[in-house]
Amino acid sequence: MSRDSAAPEVRIRDLTVVYNTPAGELPAVSHVSLTLTPGTITGVVGESGSGKSTLALSLLNAVQPPGRIAEGSVEIDGLGDVLRLDGEDLRRTRGRKVGYVFQAAQNSLNPLKTIGKQLLDLGRSHDVEDLRALVADAKALLSRMGLDGARVLDSHQHELSGGMRQRVGIMLALVLNAQVVVLDEPTTALDMITQATILRIIREVHEERALTTLVITHDVGAVAEVADDLAVMYGGRVVEHGPIAEVLGAPRHPYTQGLIRAIPRLSGDISLARALPGRPPTLGTLPAAGCVFRERCEKRMEICETVEPATATYDGRSVACHAAGRPAPVKRREYA
Amino acid sequence: MITGTAITKTFKQRGNVLGKREVPALRGVDFAIKKGGAVSFIGESGCGKTTLGRIIAGLETYDSGEIVIDDVAMSGLSHRHRQPYFRRIQLIHQDPYSALNPTRTIHQTLEAPLRLRARQTGRPRSWVDARAEELLSLVGIDPGYVLPRYPHQLSGGMRQRVVIARALTMDPEVLVADEAVSMIDVSLRLGILGLLRDLRERLGVSVLFITHDIATARYIGDEGELYVIYRGQVVERGSTETIIADPVHPYTQSLLSAIPVLHGLERPGAEQVVPTEALDEAQADEGCLFTRRCPFSTARCEAERPVLGHDGGEGGEDTEQLHACFHPRSRSVIPQGVRA
Ligand SMILES: Nc1ncnc2c1ncn2[C@@H]1O[C@H](COP(=O)(O)OP(=O)(O)OP(=O)(O)O)[C@@H](O)[C@H]1O
Ligand SMILES: Nc1ncnc2c1ncn2[C@@H]1O[C@H](COP(=O)(O)OP(=O)(O)OP(=O)(O)O)[C@@H](O)[C@H]1O
Ligand code: SF4
Ligand SMILES: [Mg+2]
Ligand SMILES: [Mg+2]
Repeated sequence: MSRDSAAPEVRIRDLTVVYNTPAGELPAVSHVSLTLTPGTITGVVGESGSGKSTLALSLLNAVQPPGRIAEGSVEIDGLGDVLRLDGEDLRRTRGRKVGYVFQAAQNSLNPLKTIGKQLLDLGRSHDVEDLRALVADAKALLSRMGLDGARVLDSHQHELSGGMRQRVGIMLALVLNAQVVVLDEPTTALDMITQATILRIIREVHEERALTTLVITHDVGAVAEVADDLAVMYGGRVVEHGPIAEVLGAPRHPYTQGLIRAIPRLSGDISLARALPGRPPTLGTLPAAGCVFRERCEKRMEICETVEPATATYDGRSVACHAAGRPAPVKRREYA
Repeated sequence: MITGTAITKTFKQRGNVLGKREVPALRGVDFAIKKGGAVSFIGESGCGKTTLGRIIAGLETYDSGEIVIDDVAMSGLSHRHRQPYFRRIQLIHQDPYSALNPTRTIHQTLEAPLRLRARQTGRPRSWVDARAEELLSLVGIDPGYVLPRYPHQLSGGMRQRVVIARALTMDPEVLVADEAVSMIDVSLRLGILGLLRDLRERLGVSVLFITHDIATARYIGDEGELYVIYRGQVVERGSTETIIADPVHPYTQSLLSAIPVLHGLERPGAEQVVPTEALDEAQADEGCLFTRRCPFSTARCEAERPVLGHDGGEGGEDTEQLHACFHPRSRSVIPQGVRA
């Protein structure tokens, strides 16, 4: 087997990304370490502002001012540290080695060119020799996602619905055969049936091509369906990370527990679901010391006020919480 | 009480290659919203939910049918005389980020409609500020904190509460909440749903709840009624709990089957239904509107259009809910809880 055909590992180490604000440089991603196991889909969930998109941009070394990657590394097998790439090397990496759909991709297509024209531009900029094959691949991907490929390639952006544009974005992320794929909110604003179809296709293509995939969403349900591993972000930290069934089935971090308890459910007693008290932090309201979640935490102790919890491993899962040593699974009677 | 009978609406779109295209958004829909009741509309994108919500709020015209508000038929009234009726129905915008004017403080945002309301009801100016505080407390936020602030200084959940408070300035009898929680963080959604439930219980306001996320419909309080809409037709209608637990229409079953399973907490329903094709609005209109995508379609389904009723079909038993299907059958489609 050639090196290329094995899915690469992605190792994010001690990554800190800051934004320059009137109050000075504030971290949107703070000392994050996360390993994406080769060939898996990792889901990242968290509230608005928790740093998910900033993390995604870092994987492509694409953080824009006023943002800046302050420290850390993002090692991808076969590519080295992406944060050290620049110029032409970086341009070639994006799309070809690391495919991506950024958040709000529906609005990022060029309004003046047909989708087909944009596809050819993309192919040429990456020196694709067989442009016919590229178009054929694109059509095949689109038709798998329930679209008429020929029609879509002939269309301008404004002739497509939001859901169609979202699928075009996913096609563009996959069509150059990148081995690492980053999808930021790929199914937001889609209805359930379309979402289910797209998630199934992401999973299928991921398996066929032996990819390493990162799917970012604020909707736990959407990742629960496709991901192998789940990383939960809060206030710029990854507070819990592990196999999805374990993180959802027996969450250890009080934030993960609260998040799961807050999901409206189709069955069971509705009084068991509860909103998480308080509100999501912003860069300006994050506490400078101690645990970032403490103000909304049911389990907080004195130490949480002053000491930021280190990430520790408990049965194959990493958790950053002073109280994590004492597991307390979400208690919902219908599962007991 | 608001009722609608046989409401139809067709949009004429400027088509692309095919020339003018007519989009039947509503094909003869009946509805009834009781005082203090909760009615939810669910269905795929483009099925007509927003159009129906806007018609009910008096913001969109309809081609035929009749709307009756408190025993008064709207067709008999001039535009001007209809206004007081539709003012009792207020729409909550889906996007709490664009619904509020960013250049105005929350105080200014609430003051304008409250002044109007004070004039309409002959109340003194002094009432306006007191009422603003009262409404913000009612929607569960601290007036002292929120009033002087601008929208960008508030979280999504707070903004949506402000949007609801603004809708309440007109003392509405019905709140139309079109995807009112979809843009809000999961952790805060239940708070807004609980607020809608509270407003029903405390003020007797009715809620018309439009959503993609069917599970949320369970959280707006007891005795909720669910309407499942497909291509402009109501295909299943009944108590929210009954339909979610025991849907009989194959379309409802495919909607419920598409809801993601929370692995580790749930396993998929045993009899999930997956449509055989993607939605194509240009599909032929003969027979059952769902026939081309339905795994259970028969020759009869291709020839005739089923109408909403309780009929259990050949060999079947009559159903509790209304449905428009020749072969209704309950199937276990929703995720089931597992031991943790
Ligand atoms: N260009 C910018 N300038 C200043 N602050 C920014 C900028 N972009 C992001 N931030 C801040 O960084 C933090 C993380 O933002 P990010 O977009 O990564 O969050 P997210 O988890 O993707 O949120 P969402 O779910 O809303 O997409 C937020 O507090 C945000 O306000
Ligand atoms: N102003 C308009 N002009 C032309 N067509 C319209 C207009 N408004 C709605 N439509 C069409 O009418 C149909 C119903 O649209 P509507 O917005 O009611 O759907 P919806 O169920 O609310 O969908 P979504 O879940 O995406 O919000 C769609 O086919 C839509 O394209
Ligand atoms: S009437 Fe026939 S085609 Fe329509 S939903 Fe029922 S079984 Fe399917
Ligand atoms: Mg984001
Ligand atoms: Mg709508």
